[in-house]
Amino acid sequence: MSDRQVEIEGGVTRMEAAFGSGDGDEKATAVVAKSQASLGQIFEQKYRPWGGELGPRWMRNYAIFRHHVYGVFTSKGHRQYHPMVRLLILVIFLASLTPIPMLFLSSLIGDEGGFFQKMWGINRYNLWGQALGYFPRNLCMWPLLTAVVVGGMISDDRQHGTSAIYFSRPISRMDYVSMKYLSVAIILGFVIVFSYFAYYTSAIVFKAEGWAYLADTLPIFLGGVLAATILVITYTSIGLALSSISQSRFFAAIGFLSIIYGTKLVSLLVELQFETTFMYAMSPYDCLAHLGQILLGIPSNYDHPVSISVVSLIIMNSAAIWLLVSRVTSLEVTRE
Amino acid sequence: MPEEDTFSEAPVIIAKGLRKMYGPHLALDDVNLEIPRGAVGILGPNGAGKSTLFKCLLGLITTTSGEGSVLGLDIRTQGEQIRSRIGYMPEYNSLDPNLFAIDHVRYAGELLGMNSRHATQRAHEVLEYVGLKDQRYRKIETFSTGMLQATKLACALVHDPDILICDEPTNGLDQRARKFMLQTLDRTVREGNRSVLMSSHVMDDVQELCDRIVMIHKGKIVIQSDIGDLVEQVDKEVEMVIWGGASKMEAELDSLGLQTRRLGRVIRVKVEDESTIENALKAAVSADVQIRQMKEYEPDLEDIFLLVMDKLGSQIKSTEDLLTVEHTGGD
Repeated sequence: MSDRQVEIEGGVTRMEAAFGSGDGDEKATAVVAKSQASLGQIFEQKYRPWGGELGPRWMRNYAIFRHHVYGVFTSKGHRQYHPMVRLLILVIFLASLTPIPMLFLSSLIGDEGGFFQKMWGINRYNLWGQALGYFPRNLCMWPLLTAVVVGGMISDDRQHGTSAIYFSRPISRMDYVSMKYLSVAIILGFVIVFSYFAYYTSAIVFKAEGWAYLADTLPIFLGGVLAATILVITYTSIGLALSSISQSRFFAAIGFLSIIYGTKLVSLLVELQFETTFMYAMSPYDCLAHLGQILLGIPSNYDHPVSISVVSLIIMNSAAIWLLVSRVTSLEVTRE
Repeated sequence: MPEEDTFSEAPVIIAKGLRKMYGPHLALDDVNLEIPRGAVGILGPNGAGKSTLFKCLLGLITTTSGEGSVLGLDIRTQGEQIRSRIGYMPEYNSLDPNLFAIDHVRYAGELLGMNSRHATQRAHEVLEYVGLKDQRYRKIETFSTGMLQATKLACALVHDPDILICDEPTNGLDQRARKFMLQTLDRTVREGNRSVLMSSHVMDDVQELCDRIVMIHKGKIVIQSDIGDLVEQVDKEVEMVIWGGASKMEAELDSLGLQTRRLGRVIRVKVEDESTIENALKAAVSADVQIRQMKEYEPDLEDIFLLVMDKLGSQIKSTEDLLTVEHTGGD
């Protein structure tokens, strides 16, 4: 039946009847129910209550931690780290593990006391260098890693006003700042401390060292762990403090690199000009390196006593944490 | 203080002598409030103390003196419990542009202590409720203003709060989005039996949604009442559209001792007694003008607001004076 034969009339469709029971004089139509066009309720708004229970404080804090840490591994559903940032973190992590294949090679070729062993084997100098050596780790790796991780950690909340979604919920400023701090510290710790741990354990495994070796080297190793942990804490404190005072992630990143490299450079110039290492007390890296040398038991290449570096580190961390706390206290809920 | 049942008829918010000072500046001055269940509009010019009041109610700032409770919880000591039961929709943008809407709402739920599975499920529900079902997997940076407002509302509703505090929810919305937002809030009150506390500069929005208003001026509560009761208190007026000399007509009305308000060719005359209309017609004859339309004028919330502000000596000619660049989009 063609469309022309269909009449729309009175809400029903009348169509030509092929076979009728009438006498043929009446208009040959059949009444059929109009097929109800499904106009559809495209959107039916309905309020649905939720009867669940809200979890305790640790669940809220874990949500903040997970949001920031998982984002490094997956971009789906968590804090977004730029793909280049994630790639850089991966490259730094892999670079920090480079001594491990060298140790493997050393054990493979039986290089006992040879070049490989000297360059990458476990000793006080190499353990110090794994965490606190200037080149390449504290020149090219750890500061860059810190800069890209802390960059938007708090400044993004300032920029986008997302602090409101934290503080309008049962999250205290202490929880907020401590979880942000922990997130950064864990990411840095994973690369810096974990790579240090992996380096040490792989040396034992590849060389099939026994308990005696472990007993000999464990105190040195633990000294290094402590030094690396202090490095993570110091870099996190300074980096987050810079992130909290700005709305720009680039400011925090560039600011952090400037502090690390700038103080190092100025101290170096002062040392070259005046032959004193005292100015290194204002360089976070050198204070950490100095403390690390003492903790790992290697001769210090700084003239000033280690206590000055320790006091300097305490002051740097305290000032950074004070700045961080005071800036987070000023984050607004109603407007930023 | 004992916690209140969600369906209780007792006031959801109570404040007694609430006072907040920022240094020498008095932000809230002896605020006494009793807000019942339902939709309540908070009105006041910029700097009146609305945001400070919200912060006090959320337990985010310590009050200088006075006491208050939200859902039976003390605002001075139980801020975290209060914020667990309140959904707050900020006026300003508070969304991470790099996240998908679904992830943002889920995260907002997780920040309240919901487990990830429940938060995800609930995020789907509330995004559908606010009309963003098909945009759930779009990045927030691609959203329009209306969608951003809807996402903020979804974040506030994710845990099914007893009270929803909305700071300028229709800010920057076009007519259609505004209507949908108000309809959604209204449904939350009527169907969900939730309370909505809404601040707005747009009187029509407040009148459309709320049964009751609280007006703040210079940190003081100047009005808290049902809108219907307030409308009855406003003087009755007759509105006339004049053709052929509105100024002459205004002068004639004034000479007859009638109180008038004029906006172009529209003149409103206060109804003093039964002779007012007759006098107005006589004035039209004397002034030799045509009255094209004459009707009883029904006062709205804007009239009430302006009247109150006028009595308080505030230099406000209309509610447009209260709008900032954020409200107008720079227009």
